Amino acid sequence: MTDRPRPVAIEAEGLGWTYAGRSRPALQGLVFRVEPGRVLLVLGPSGSGKSTLARALAGLVPHTLPGRWGGSLRVGEMDVATTPARFLGERVGLVFQDPDSQLVMARVEDEVAFGLENRGWPRSSMTVRVPDALAQVGLAGFERRDTATLSGGEKQRLATADVLAAGPSLLVFDEPTANLDPPGMHATLARLAELAQRREHTIVLIEHRLEAALPLADDILMIGEDGRQLAFAPAGSVGPEAADLLERSGAWVPQAWRRERDPIQAPPGDHSGAQVLRASEVRLDYPTDGAGTRRALDGVSLHVRAGERVALVGPNGAGKSSLLFALAGLRRPDAGTIRLRTLPRGGVAAQQWRDPARVPAGEVADQVGIVFQDPELGFVARTARGEVQASDAAARRPRPQRGHGEGPGLPSSEGVLARFGLVNLASEDPFRLSQGEQRRLSLAALALRPPALLLLDEPTFGLDRRGTGAVLSLLDELLATGQAQILATHDPRLLPACDRVVALDQGRKVFDGTPGTFLAAPPYSPAEPWRGDSAQPGRAGVRSTGRSSR
Amino acid sequence: MSLLPAPLAPVRPAFLTKVTPAARLVAGFTWIIAAVVTLDPAVPARLTIAAIVALVLWSGLPLGRIPGRMAPLGFAILSLTAFSILLSGSNTDRSLATVLELGPVRVTGPAIAAGLAIGLRVVVIGLTTLLVVGPSDPTRLADSLVQQWHVPDRFAYGSLAALRVAPFMAGDWAVVGAARRLRGLQPRGPIGRIHDAGDRILVMLVSAIRRAERLALAMDARGFDSGIRRTHFRELRVGWRDWLTVAFALAVAVAAIALPS
Repeated sequence: MTDRPRPVAIEAEGLGWTYAGRSRPALQGLVFRVEPGRVLLVLGPSGSGKSTLARALAGLVPHTLPGRWGGSLRVGEMDVATTPARFLGERVGLVFQDPDSQLVMARVEDEVAFGLENRGWPRSSMTVRVPDALAQVGLAGFERRDTATLSGGEKQRLATADVLAAGPSLLVFDEPTANLDPPGMHATLARLAELAQRREHTIVLIEHRLEAALPLADDILMIGEDGRQLAFAPAGSVGPEAADLLERSGAWVPQAWRRERDPIQAPPGDHSGAQVLRASEVRLDYPTDGAGTRRALDGVSLHVRAGERVALVGPNGAGKSSLLFALAGLRRPDAGTIRLRTLPRGGVAAQQWRDPARVPAGEVADQVGIVFQDPELGFVARTARGEVQASDAAARRPRPQRGHGEGPGLPSSEGVLARFGLVNLASEDPFRLSQGEQRRLSLAALALRPPALLLLDEPTFGLDRRGTGAVLSLLDELLATGQAQILATHDPRLLPACDRVVALDQGRKVFDGTPGTFLAAPPYSPAEPWRGDSAQPGRAGVRSTGRSSR
Repeated sequence: MSLLPAPLAPVRPAFLTKVTPAARLVAGFTWIIAAVVTLDPAVPARLTIAAIVALVLWSGLPLGRIPGRMAPLGFAILSLTAFSILLSGSNTDRSLATVLELGPVRVTGPAIAAGLAIGLRVVVIGLTTLLVVGPSDPTRLADSLVQQWHVPDRFAYGSLAALRVAPFMAGDWAVVGAARRLRGLQPRGPIGRIHDAGDRILVMLVSAIRRAERLALAMDARGFDSGIRRTHFRELRVGWRDWLTVAFALAVAVAAIALPS
């Protein structure tokens, strides 16, 4: 327990796994060998079994989750299929994606000690290892902090300290930065790079932020949609054929390997339309513990035109969600005004403005819509078809002539299902769909009666390149009907697909301009995290001139 | 955007914060048992005074915030006491003197005594619970239950992990409500409201189960409940403060019963 860990080799021979109750294997026929102390980057589209591989390395597959195992996987001298999970767990540390569902304890030092307690470490060793592990991830001095008060990046570093404390030989990171804002992502990847340089652990990294992750990798494993290995090679010698296979699988591909056209194109909208949203000097306060308040928004003004797509960016806690809630009329501002243009009614082009908080329930669906980061929380029906029809069925006014179905006249729910690629799933329970299908359904649900203003919170979260492209092209169609879209995101890759970028920091608007200007000089320090992974200018096709829309 | 009020936590070092939760639990039980087994309202009244003194002197809790947090319980206790007095059987006994008469309602002395006894018992239970739970965080309570009372790890730390994710569920509830409102789904009538609440709860359940699955997997990956005997980073030792607390609480309980009315 006291001697330093030694990195181990990983060896897979025909590794396969099928989860109980599924007919399609999650992984099949993987053959690779990673030498001790190297960093393996695993690439593949959504649903390719990357997370399953991470679980297998930690022994959760096959020891905790039920299913059918095939072939062999060795971590050092241990055969995963036959080694009890507790021995594997001592040598392998696994860091998951979601910072909020992997921390157990309320206090930082208790959290790090949790895994050591489970493995029966004596108290004297724990008191040495806990501060040591925290120092390794840059959290020295955080021992007494409440884990709930940490930022997302700090939580992921804490989760790393949790697994480092036990002195593992193999570290597995399953999309550790997916839920983080750019500063958190930057800090987490920087710590990971330090760990990799020390060569004390073999590291397996699953990561979508490729431009930042690729320089860390020694070896690359590519897995296709069907869970089969596409390629395995040292990072420096990935051939064009392998890159091509990966690109065709729909996965994110590093810029340097890319040949196909980038799926992220400038928005097609004609944003010379009329203004649909006027928010002036919006202030929003939240009561805090005791008598004080925390200012979530401080004098934010925002005007948006029909057909315009605005990206809303900023670190966690900058006020993005608060602004979306306020614009949707779900939270009254404490000062300032929010006005939405009323929709034309009875052939009269109305020129009135109204408070979104006062729009009656029967009309709200045409005025403003919202898609949350977790599409499941927004589902209101028991079938996909019911989901598409729900807003229309609840509305008390005839549908405006702006819908999105097929053929002339009013669109039909069947037309919408076809447009969004959901015909075969029309009778399915929304909760049983895959992540990508749920995303498409959450947009299809707003297509029959497209709201004049659509608010989206991380609309491409967790999607691969193909999924992101599909969501953006559906959003383009809605934009073409004259809809205005505001899209809150941490992903700089989406910015070129927007007409304008609005950046918030600590509740204030700190930038309002074109994506090109924003990416060239982000109004944050350090600016690096925003530049790291974005599409290079010129790569993303023609960028809109981003005319100011004031 | 937390929707749950912050829990009451000690704001200054105090005697009871240094007593192990298990000892506080034993001490608290002596008072609750004393309050429940006697019919005389004087016993819970004395214990209420004792509990208030203990809260002020030894709990370390922010006293200004206690009345606000106890308000819902206070309202329940007032209604319970009022109904107990009004509905008491002794009100119909014509041999007893009338204390108060409001139209058809007649209230007697024994009815008031019985009603107060019931109400004050609940007051004692509430204040004692605050003295037991308030002075330390839930983690220490779980540690204490496992180390001193040998409650199974899976139950104690599993509950602790569940408690940690509760605020996220409150956030989910707000998001579910917002999504439904913006789709124009407004429940009509009482039946509609029941349907609406049922649908929202279903969505919440799905989300809660997914979150619980992720958390359970993360705990398993860190060797939780893997058959190894668990050790403890924060060891709780029974000290003189624990014995003093239990002895003092017992003495107060006995005195509250034994003193002449």
